Amino acid sequence: MDENKDAARRAYRLTRRRFLAASSAAALAACAPAATPGPGGASVVPTATPGPPLKIGMLLPFTKVYAELGNSMQRATKLYLKQKGEALANRPVTVVYEDEANDPVVGAQKTQKFIDSDRVDLMMGIVATPIAYAVRNAIDSAKLIFIETNAGGNALTRTTTNCTPSCKSKYIFRTSFSSYQISYPIGEYFATQMGVKEVFTFVADYGFGNESAADFTSGFTKGGGKITGSLKAPLGSADFLPYVTQIKAQNTKDIYSFFSGTDAINYIKAWTQLGMPAAGYKMNGAGFLTEQDVLKEVKDQANGATTSLFWAVTLDNAENKAFVDAYQKEYTMLPDVFAVQAWDGMQAVDLALQAVKGDTNNKDAFIAALENVKFKSPRGDFEFDKETHNPIQDIYIREVKVQSGQAVNTIVGKVARVTDPGK
Amino acid sequence: MTPETAVVQALNGISFGALLFILAAGLSLIFGMMDVVNLAHGAFYMLGAYITLTVVQRTGQFWLALVLAPLLIGALGLVIEPLLLRRLRGRHLDQVLLTIGVSLVIADLVGLTWGREIRSIPFPAGLDHAITILGGDYPVYRLFVIAFGGLLAVVLAVVHRRTRVGALIRAGVDDAPMLAALGVDIDRLFATTFAVGAALAGLAGVIAAPVFGIYPGMDVDYLIYSLVVVVVGGLGTLSGAVAGSALIGPADTFGKVLVPQFALALIFAVMALVLLLRPTGLLGRIRIAR
Repeated sequence: MDENKDAARRAYRLTRRRFLAASSAAALAACAPAATPGPGGASVVPTATPGPPLKIGMLLPFTKVYAELGNSMQRATKLYLKQKGEALANRPVTVVYEDEANDPVVGAQKTQKFIDSDRVDLMMGIVATPIAYAVRNAIDSAKLIFIETNAGGNALTRTTTNCTPSCKSKYIFRTSFSSYQISYPIGEYFATQMGVKEVFTFVADYGFGNESAADFTSGFTKGGGKITGSLKAPLGSADFLPYVTQIKAQNTKDIYSFFSGTDAINYIKAWTQLGMPAAGYKMNGAGFLTEQDVLKEVKDQANGATTSLFWAVTLDNAENKAFVDAYQKEYTMLPDVFAVQAWDGMQAVDLALQAVKGDTNNKDAFIAALENVKFKSPRGDFEFDKETHNPIQDIYIREVKVQSGQAVNTIVGKVARVTDPGK
Repeated sequence: MTPETAVVQALNGISFGALLFILAAGLSLIFGMMDVVNLAHGAFYMLGAYITLTVVQRTGQFWLALVLAPLLIGALGLVIEPLLLRRLRGRHLDQVLLTIGVSLVIADLVGLTWGREIRSIPFPAGLDHAITILGGDYPVYRLFVIAFGGLLAVVLAVVHRRTRVGALIRAGVDDAPMLAALGVDIDRLFATTFAVGAALAGLAGVIAAPVFGIYPGMDVDYLIYSLVVVVVGGLGTLSGAVAGSALIGPADTFGKVLVPQFALALIFAVMALVLLLRPTGLLGRIRIAR
């Protein structure tokens, strides 16, 4: 009940603030000369003068375990703006970076700061799904346009009962993925294209890991496969040896996993230590299991793992080559998938802004422009699903191979134009 | 669970327990002597792991790190005690707050120095293979961790019971003011204790680095484990640290495989149960309120 009261109070405060802002703007307009005549009264071409500044609030983790994901997205954002002369659609851009510290409470506070004191024109970022869910209502009621650049929880772009744990909003777009997109297609692909009959699932026991296992299971069983068992490990399980010992004690050879970062590294090392490849077991999973941050640490130990994602650094298209080159030149390191997600967030905003000639005050027009953007991303063709605001994208099936001493994800298959079912 | 799997899981649990012992021994030592719960213990552990990363990257010598990291972190402890903690001696809560501050500074400096990427190092040469136990592969490194933890427990026990330093520590734990009145340089004893405790945390960081990875936030994760171990075992005694880790390591491992949905909560449930039955921990002594 208190939450409702609070929400009402917040809405009231916003309305009052809006009113003040609107009325003062009107007063200013009244004082200003009706038009801006050039010297001697001749009209000038408007493109030469920069428009009003555009303020973007970027909420990313810069501390705790996801800090490097935040750094990566910040690098991509800065690179994009540098290439565009620090302006989008003729509006000079300032980005306010805030640290969400992988904590929903902190995330909510920083979002409120963007809304109330920074008064940003639009907001981007957020790595962890619980934080995205926690700020969804505040963003929706403030009518703040928000581009999610990582968190993949299905509910953020879906219609759900009572909006639990979250639900789509017309103000929220996502340039990353939904967990359905990186889990369901590979399930179906395994059953129908690779002839896999049985799979055992082993995922991180939290919202995203559970969604990934459920989506993989429905895709795999729909294609005729059978799930023989499952195991879950809490997020941040220090020791993976007990789990891998359990996996080795059962007979299904194909394992589907969702882990990322440190968990993925510890899992893969425990896997090698127990001699799983020699015993005939095969590691598979959602793409983050073998992304660059993991591969550069485990090297050839993940050899042969098959995973699915919407991008790989080796992906062969002109946009990806240009992106990887520019990123490498600027930072002397390879970009990762998180950089691509932030990069595409900036691209989508840039194109939509151009379509509305830089006007972010007319929210409906800006939303419509975002819904209509279509571009070539480093991942391939990118567009938003108008229903959900989640991307429609190709999903690649990738296998880890060691090429000239380096472990890389090589593309072995593709599921074209995957879109989230939306409910 | 087949008997073979159960034996392998028991080994997993014992090796995790052995690592927890190396980690918790220093925390317990410092608390026993100085009555300070050193919340920077996790940060010392983290520092040990990151020093290992650099040493292994530069020289490829894991064993060099095993010597170097504890020495460096011990030296750091030798500086921190007189510089910071000594000023607040007797004010226990203030000292604990101070150690939180120290841990935040160290964790941030680690981030600035080494970056915030997740890292990992290979197993040291010679310990990177597996041997056959009950028809299945078992990693040698885990057996090494068990042996190392056991050896360390023996060495610490001998030092504690049979040497002059051990006698001073036992006396200091019992009654530090009386020890000072007898003419023992208590400042030096405290600084040494803190340094040794910090060095043990660093040592745990080295041993854990190849298994559990190196990442921002590892300090807090393992501080919690070490606190659980010393609270369960009994604060401030070496045998308590042994008992605590011997219970928590296997409990964590078997909890993960038998009741996976309670895996994280299980060790805390064990802690609560132990505290209900024995408020001083398994082998804790009743402390005289001061």
